[in-house]
Amino acid sequence: MVEDKILVWKFNRGSKDALRRIYEKYKDDLLGLAITLLKDRSVAEDIVHDVFVSFAQTTGTYHLSGTLKGYLSTCVANRARDRNRLRSGTNTGLDVVEALGSSSDGPTEHAIGSEESGRLDDLLARLPYEQREVIVLHLHQGMRFREIAKALGISINTVQSRYRYGLDKLRTILNSVVTK
Amino acid sequence: MRPKENIEKFVRVRKPHVTTSRQMDKRTLDDSFAAMEQTIRTKSAEHKPSVQRISILSRMIKLTAAAAVIIVTTGLIAVFVDRGIGEKPDTNTVSEIVKSPVEMMTAMSLERAFQRGGIEAVEEQSRKAFRPLGLKPKNLSFDQILAEFNGNCHSTGRTRL
Repeated sequence: MVEDKILVWKFNRGSKDALRRIYEKYKDDLLGLAITLLKDRSVAEDIVHDVFVSFAQTTGTYHLSGTLKGYLSTCVANRARDRNRLRSGTNTGLDVVEALGSSSDGPTEHAIGSEESGRLDDLLARLPYEQREVIVLHLHQGMRFREIAKALGISINTVQSRYRYGLDKLRTILNSVVTK
Repeated sequence: MRPKENIEKFVRVRKPHVTTSRQMDKRTLDDSFAAMEQTIRTKSAEHKPSVQRISILSRMIKLTAAAAVIIVTTGLIAVFVDRGIGEKPDTNTVSEIVKSPVEMMTAMSLERAFQRGGIEAVEEQSRKAFRPLGLKPKNLSFDQILAEFNGNCHSTGRTRL
């Protein structure tokens, strides 16, 4: 947190090193979030790229309220939601889920490799987008419900109910998978 | 552990670990640095005053300073001329200066008459003023009237009327 404040302070004074450090620190986390939300690595990469370019344009005026990770995660989630709306006409279900990590360059850049992670990803993909978004932001990005509510512009009760319904549905799906 | 906590733990521990590609890093950082530089350039251009603006500003400052000096000097001169340098401020009230409302009205009407037509108008005004009293102000001079306004009525003016 203190490190982030120092980085933001330097970033606001035009330090490229600070921007590079912020990118290095959060790039993987944000890309993972975008991939989980959109199920498309190339689109996820575009989103993370756009978020950082937009963030770079706020140099000198950016005011850190809350956590930097929360802010960047919110930016990614908002852009992912917009992309999701744009392609809402197309099928975004399991049939078109791109194999995660398929476009990574080398062995050190592999995406979700484990079978379990892939399975969770498939399970999350079965949830409605809104529920998936809240679950991922809370459990993966560590954002509190209040933060999520503020970021998404909805009430905290809505966030909590989406989260609860999402977990219920996830449990049901898991149970059905286990039963089979 | 409750089912809800189970499922939360299940999701949390299976958080995907993704790494970005070198291409993506390069593209994102290059574009971000370019955007940052552009923003800094734009902001500095907005804040940097042009030479023309500086000269105009300088001229305006000079004119304003000159005007302020003139106003202050004029004000000080006016104050000292009115009161006299080092003199005690005039603390007389209106009631002390003007003995009665009649005197005040008379003074005002003569003042207006003087503004309207000079000495002739004042004399005409005084004639009109004394006519209802049946007095004959033929011997009344303008100096006597002024002396009366200045509070010397007991010594000169009225005795001659």
